[in-house]
Amino acid sequence: MDNAVNPLVEMIGISKSYGGVRACRDIDLTVRAGEVHALLGENGAGKSTLMKILSGDVTDYDGTVSIGGAPVRFAAPADAQRAGVAMIHQELDLVPGLTVAENIFLGRELRTRLRTVDRRRTNQVTRGLLERCGVALDPRRPVGELRTGEQQLVTIAKALSLDAKVLIMDEPTSALSPVEVEQMFTVISELRRAGVGIVYISHRMDEIGRIADRATVLRNGSVVAGFDTRDMTAEAAAEAMVGRPVQAMFRTRDVDPGEEVLRVTGLALTPRRERSGRREPDGISLAVRRGEIVGVGGLLGSGRTELLETLYGAGSAGTLRGEILFRGRPFHPRGARQSLRAGMALVPEDRRIAGLSLEHSVAANTVLSIVDRIATAGFVPRARETGAVRRITAELKVKLGSIGDAVGTLSGGNQQKVVFGRMLLTEPVLLLLDEPTRGVDVGAKAEIYQLLGEAAQQGIGVLLASSELAELVGVCDRVVVLSGGRSVRELDTRQAGEADLLAASMGEGSAALAVEGGENA
Amino acid sequence: MTSEVTTKQAGAEPEPPPQQRKQRREFVNALFRFQSLFGLVAVFVVAVVFSPRHNGELLFLNADNLANVVRAMSEIGIMAVGMTFVILVGGIDLSVGAVLGLAAVGSAVLMVNDDFGVVATVVIVLAIGLFFGFLQGMASALFGIQAFIVTLAGMQIARGLARIWSGGQGVAIAYGDGPGEAPVTFSLLGERTFNGIVPIPALIFAVVAVVAIVFLRTSAFARHVYAIGGNEKAARLSGVPVTRVKVIVFCICGFLAALAGIVHAGQLNQGSPNDGFGYELDAIAAVVIGGTSLMGGRGSVVGTVAGALLLGVLNNFLGLHGVDPNVQLLVKGLVIVVAAGLQRLRPTV
Repeated sequence: MDNAVNPLVEMIGISKSYGGVRACRDIDLTVRAGEVHALLGENGAGKSTLMKILSGDVTDYDGTVSIGGAPVRFAAPADAQRAGVAMIHQELDLVPGLTVAENIFLGRELRTRLRTVDRRRTNQVTRGLLERCGVALDPRRPVGELRTGEQQLVTIAKALSLDAKVLIMDEPTSALSPVEVEQMFTVISELRRAGVGIVYISHRMDEIGRIADRATVLRNGSVVAGFDTRDMTAEAAAEAMVGRPVQAMFRTRDVDPGEEVLRVTGLALTPRRERSGRREPDGISLAVRRGEIVGVGGLLGSGRTELLETLYGAGSAGTLRGEILFRGRPFHPRGARQSLRAGMALVPEDRRIAGLSLEHSVAANTVLSIVDRIATAGFVPRARETGAVRRITAELKVKLGSIGDAVGTLSGGNQQKVVFGRMLLTEPVLLLLDEPTRGVDVGAKAEIYQLLGEAAQQGIGVLLASSELAELVGVCDRVVVLSGGRSVRELDTRQAGEADLLAASMGEGSAALAVEGGENA
Repeated sequence: MTSEVTTKQAGAEPEPPPQQRKQRREFVNALFRFQSLFGLVAVFVVAVVFSPRHNGELLFLNADNLANVVRAMSEIGIMAVGMTFVILVGGIDLSVGAVLGLAAVGSAVLMVNDDFGVVATVVIVLAIGLFFGFLQGMASALFGIQAFIVTLAGMQIARGLARIWSGGQGVAIAYGDGPGEAPVTFSLLGERTFNGIVPIPALIFAVVAVVAIVFLRTSAFARHVYAIGGNEKAARLSGVPVTRVKVIVFCICGFLAALAGIVHAGQLNQGSPNDGFGYELDAIAAVVIGGTSLMGGRGSVVGTVAGALLLGVLNNFLGLHGVDPNVQLLVKGLVIVVAAGLQRLRPTV
C-alpha cells in the first residue's frame, strides 16, 4: 500500500452510544499527511468521543479506523501511541516536579551502561527535539516553572519523540497569550511540513481560518458540514455548529454610565512571599462606573487575574499600596466573604478548579454564597432555596434536567452560568469576571455576552479580564491594558480594534487611538 | 454486586426511554449511597440465621444481647459522628481515641480526687474536648498543616496529658456521698432505661446521631461543610468562611470524643489513661463503611451510624460463636476493604 495515496487517518462509519445517548452516529473523517484538519462543534457534539476513539481511549464502538491504509482497532491509548497517534490533552499530563527532559522520557528513561539514568544524553536528545519544533527551552528546567504555553510545547515535543504521525490537539490555544499562539502556529507549520497530520479542535474561528486546511463540523454526533477553509466564513461555520443562524455575538448599545463604583489609583502589592508565575499589581489605575463594562487586557502573565484577585481579597497576602475607592469609600480587601458582603463579586478563571464542586447539585452550587443569608436561625428553608435557584437558572437560561442533578453533568457553558448565577444572587454592584467564556461553545458564549449586557443594564459595574481580543473589543466599553502588572494604556472600543489592542498589549505605538492612561473615556 | 449487573445491562440494551434510564441511574445511586444500610441488614440477617441457640431461642436476638450490641458500639458511634464532620471537610482526626482516654481520666479525677459534682465534671470535661479540638483546628487551618499531622501530634499530647493527670494509672470510681466518692448520678451511665432494655449510652448515641443528621441536612453550616469538602478553593471564593468552618468542625469532633470518654468512664466505673487506644481507627472505619468519602464533600451521618452498628453486630456475632479475637480483626479488616471497594464502583457523575 502506498501512503501517498491512502490518507493518514481514515475513520469510516463511526458510531458510539453511551447508555442510550448517541455520542457519534455514522461519522466519516479523513486526515491526510501534512494537513491540519479542524474539528468544529459545540460542546457535546461528539468531538471528544470521536477523538477518544482515534486515540484508543474508547474501544467499544462501531465502524472502522485505518492508519496509513491499514485497519486498526486500538485496545488502549498505548496501542494508538505505538501506531503513531498522539493526543495533546487540554489538561496537560506532565509531572510539575520533573524537568522538561525527564518529562519527555518519563517511563522510558535513557540509561548509561551502569543502568543509571543518563542525564546528559537525555538533555541532549531533548534539546534536539525542542529545536526541531523551533522552541528555545532549557531541558533542565522543571516543568512546573514553565508557563502554560511552554508546557504545551513540551507535550508536543514529547509526542514527537514517540514518533507521532497524527497529533490530536484539543483547544491548544485556549490558555495561551497572543504571542504564544503565534509560537504555537509556527510549531504547527513545522510539523505540517514534516508530514504530520493534525486534528485541531478549537472554538476560535479566526485561528481555524488561519491554520487549518479543511474543517469538519459536528452537531449532535453527526457530520453536518465539511469546508475547505479557503472558502469558509465564520458565520457559515457557526451556523452549521449551532444549527440556526447566529445573531450578532456582541451587543451594540449606548452606554449611559452612572456613578463611579470603583476607582483604583496606583494599586501595587508587595507579596509576603514571592510565588513563581504570579505578576502582582505594580501600579494599576482604573475606574468602573455603574452600567459600564470595562475590559482588562494584556498578554498572559501581565497580571490580569492577579488584579481581580487582589481587588476581591483573594490574592497573595502582602502589603497593599495605592488607593481603592469602592462605592465612594476607601476599601480594604480582606477576603471573599467581606467583598461579597460589600457588593463585589468574582467569577473566577477556571470553573472546575475555582468555581464549582462538580459532584454536588446545581442547587447547592447556586445558592452557596447566600445560604447564610436565606437561612433562618441557621437553617435553610428548602422552599426559599429552590425558589432562588429556579428563578436565577431560568433568568440565565441554564439548560438542566433537574436542579438536583450534579453540576458536573452540565455542559461547560451552563456550568459557567451556574457560577455567574451564584454571584448575581449576592446582588453585587461590581462584578469581576475572569475569562468568563473559556472552554464555552459558540452558542453559550453569545448568551453569556447577552447576560453581561443585561447585568450592566441593571446598573452593575463589570470588570472583565480576558485573553480574547475579540471579546474585549466586542463586549467592553473601554479596555485597560496591563503589562508587567501596570496599567499602560486605556482604549476606547468605539475607536480601537483588535489590532490596536494587541499592539498596546505588546507595548507598541498606536498612541493615536489611546485615551489618556488612567483617565475615563 | 446487584448494582454492577444493573449498570451493565443499561449499557447493553438498545436505548431504553430516558425516563427509565434516569430511574435506573437513581436506583443504582441509592444502592451505593445507602450501601452501609444494606450491608447492616445483610450482616444482621446472617447473624440471626446463624445465631447460636439455647433451648430453641436465638441467642443473638435475645434482648440482653441486642442491648449489648448497641451499648458496646455507642462510644465508637458517638466519636464516629464527630469524625464524619471532619472527614466531610476533607480532614481526619486521629486524636479522638486519646481524647476519649483523657476525658475518662478527667471524669474520674475530677469527681473522685477533686470532689466535683456531676454537672461540673461533665461541663469541664466536654469543654476540655472542645478546646482540644479548637486548638487542633486552629493549628491546622492557620498554619496550613495537614490535619493528619496535627492530630497525630494531638493524639500524643492528649495521651500524655491523660497519663500525667491520672498519675499513670487507672482511677477507680466508687459511688457514694463521702469524700473520694463520685455522686451516684454518674453511675446512671452504666444503667438501662425503658424497663431495663435500652442502655443509657445507646440513648445518648441516638440523640447525638439524630441531632447530627438533622443538622447536616438542614443547616447553612452544613452546606459550608459539604462545599469545602467538594472544592475548598471554590468555597472560599464563594464567601464560605473556610477557616472558621474547619475550626468548628474540629471542635465538634473533640467535643463528641470527650462525650464518648464520659460515657466510657461511666460504663467501666473508672478512668484509665490508656483507654480508647486505637478507637480512632474504629471510628474512621465506621465512617468509611458508611460511605463517606475520605476526600470530603460526600457522605452522611446515617451511613456512619449504619457503619458503626454493622461493626457492632459483626463483633457480637463473632463473639457469640467464640471466634478468636484475632480472627475477628481479620474479618473487620476485610469488611472495611470491601466497603471502600464498593464505593469505587459507584458511578460518578
